[in-house]
Amino acid sequence: MKIRVLLLSILLILPSIATAGEAILIGGPISLSGKYAKEGEQGFIGFKVAEKWVNEVYGGVRIGNRRVPIRYVYYDDESKKENVTSLVERLIKVDGVRFLLAPYSSGLTLAGAPVAEKYGALYMSHGGASDRIFEQGFRYVVQTIGPASSYQRSVVDMVKAIDPSARRVALLFEDSEFSRTVMMGVKGYLKEKGMKIVFERAYPRNVKDLTPVLTEMKARRPEILLGGGHFADGQLLAKQMGDLGVDVKAASILVAPTLPAFAKTLGKEANGFIAPAHWEKGVRFNRENSKGIGLGYFGPSQEWFIREFKKESGGLEPEYHAANAMASILAYVKAIELAGTTDVDRVRDAMDRLHFVPFYGEWKIDPETGKQVGHKMILIQWQKGRKEIVWPEEAQTARPCYPMASCPGR
Amino acid sequence: MPPFLIALYGNLLNGAILGAVYGMMTMGLSLIFGVLRIVNVGHGAFIMVGAYTAFFLFTLYGIPPLLAVPFSFIIGMGLGALFFYTVIKRLIDSPELTTLLATFSFGVLLEEVAKLLWGPDYRGFNWEVGSLHLPFVTIPLEKLYAFLASVSMALILYIWFKKGRSGMAIRAIMEDREGASCCGINVDGMYGLSFSIGIALTVASGSLLTLFIPVGIHPYMGGIYTLKAFVIAVLGGLSSPWGAFFGGFIFGLVENGAYSLFGLVPGLEPFSMTYFAAFLILLILLLIRPEGLLGANGG
Repeated sequence: MKIRVLLLSILLILPSIATAGEAILIGGPISLSGKYAKEGEQGFIGFKVAEKWVNEVYGGVRIGNRRVPIRYVYYDDESKKENVTSLVERLIKVDGVRFLLAPYSSGLTLAGAPVAEKYGALYMSHGGASDRIFEQGFRYVVQTIGPASSYQRSVVDMVKAIDPSARRVALLFEDSEFSRTVMMGVKGYLKEKGMKIVFERAYPRNVKDLTPVLTEMKARRPEILLGGGHFADGQLLAKQMGDLGVDVKAASILVAPTLPAFAKTLGKEANGFIAPAHWEKGVRFNRENSKGIGLGYFGPSQEWFIREFKKESGGLEPEYHAANAMASILAYVKAIELAGTTDVDRVRDAMDRLHFVPFYGEWKIDPETGKQVGHKMILIQWQKGRKEIVWPEEAQTARPCYPMASCPGR
Repeated sequence: MPPFLIALYGNLLNGAILGAVYGMMTMGLSLIFGVLRIVNVGHGAFIMVGAYTAFFLFTLYGIPPLLAVPFSFIIGMGLGALFFYTVIKRLIDSPELTTLLATFSFGVLLEEVAKLLWGPDYRGFNWEVGSLHLPFVTIPLEKLYAFLASVSMALILYIWFKKGRSGMAIRAIMEDREGASCCGINVDGMYGLSFSIGIALTVASGSLLTLFIPVGIHPYMGGIYTLKAFVIAVLGGLSSPWGAFFGGFIFGLVENGAYSLFGLVPGLEPFSMTYFAAFLILLILLLIRPEGLLGANGG
């Protein structure tokens, strides 16, 4: 009889040993060296800060009546695809991690996804924006970072809110997979919003002169320009628009305007340019605003995150990679709490119902694909030499200046 | 005016202006090939040096990029002399592959040194001096300055080449090296001078290019210009600096004009087609007039 009771007790206690006795293991390969080392470092510190908040401030993941700490497990993938696949396997099989964090970039994320899928481990993309990752039919791959196809949609929303009569749009993008995904994503949305594409062109990578295409575009008299690709071409686009007197009411360029070097180089010509961004320091997603949009807020305040990030990194400023990383762990915590268990399938089901706001912005996935659909890109705009957050309204640090010719300091 | 004609007019005008700088950019390459029979594969790296010179002079000392051109020329002369007397002089009569690899290596070396010194980041500046507003098209004055500077430098070079003592000596070497040597011309000295001037023109053109494109300055920016310079050089006659200058004009016009024409074809991306057009013309020229438009020795 005593032995039976003992065995029964062991059986009852066992599941909690896997979680409460130890900790919930969350982790993944991360690029601490190689070409993505900079982004990897940001993500890594973001994860460490998230671990700290969950365990020390929040008190652990709430599963029933218990509070279970989390433990972040990682290996350096050296920014190499071949390392990612073997490390994801190792994390699942050797370390027993069931809540994976994908590495930075779409390429590396895509490399590890089939392995996670094979073993039925959840795989959260925090740095892989390509829509292609979520078009493979994976069940366990989910996304925190906004998909590339959504990058320019916020601009359309902003323009429609300010100037419903604006219709004529020019699309001018770099000829790369990322930029084309962005362009394809916004094309359907423009049609939905009743806007007309009057010009559509792609330019080659490493372009040195955009004069011909801008001259052609100018002759079509667009009101809105959506374009860009990476830093160098985006900056060239902005510079040559000024040179040729291309006058549009709003110009949103990928990547380039998010970096301080954009304004440092262009001076007053930078004023008025808009860029979509995942997160910016100063963005105002907080408890108050989340109430306003009817969603629950979860996680630390932005101020706490920035302070702890600087402490953890020895003075570095957090970038969006770090905010993405933290939001990914917060989503895991919320989903486990909603499921009331660490069972992967039940947590995955819970993710379909999960809709919350951390300091990073809304989080909600498409149940079919796992693609992030809640997070809206914020828009930054250069005004008087300062980078302001102008959209969405609940995140604003300044009102958008529209048309861009009226922008102060331009 | 229909949008197509406005665009074509604007593009041809811009093409002609940029073409002058392209021409200037290629003159150095052609001069070196014409005199020393060396193809400078590291051409783009010297353009990069000129762009950085303009960038640093402007951002650190406020010197306008147009005034950076003489500085670039002097730096180019120094770099050319250094490269010539340390490497090229020993390789003048070596097989072509040897000099090809030597110039390639020197180009890579320059790029890596630039990366080491100034980092891999994209640099840029903004020098605004106003614009010229023509009907349907606006042309920034800095581009016009670059055009005028290119034409002036090409003219000075032409006068020196035709009338100057050392210019005539170089022409003599281009025609008959042994004969020139027998007449008492210091062939090695003239080789050094031609090579240095060739590099100096290239570095100076890098500064002029920043008047068109003052952004995207980085250690590996030269690759695309090397490619364009080769097309232009062949177009104008590989060993003809003047041919190269006119070749630059034609290339600028073709590049920009073809863009507008290809833009009329639905479903085509005109930008990629401009390269197609440029290289198609190059192939046709090589087939029907391999000595280039102005002949091998510059007409």
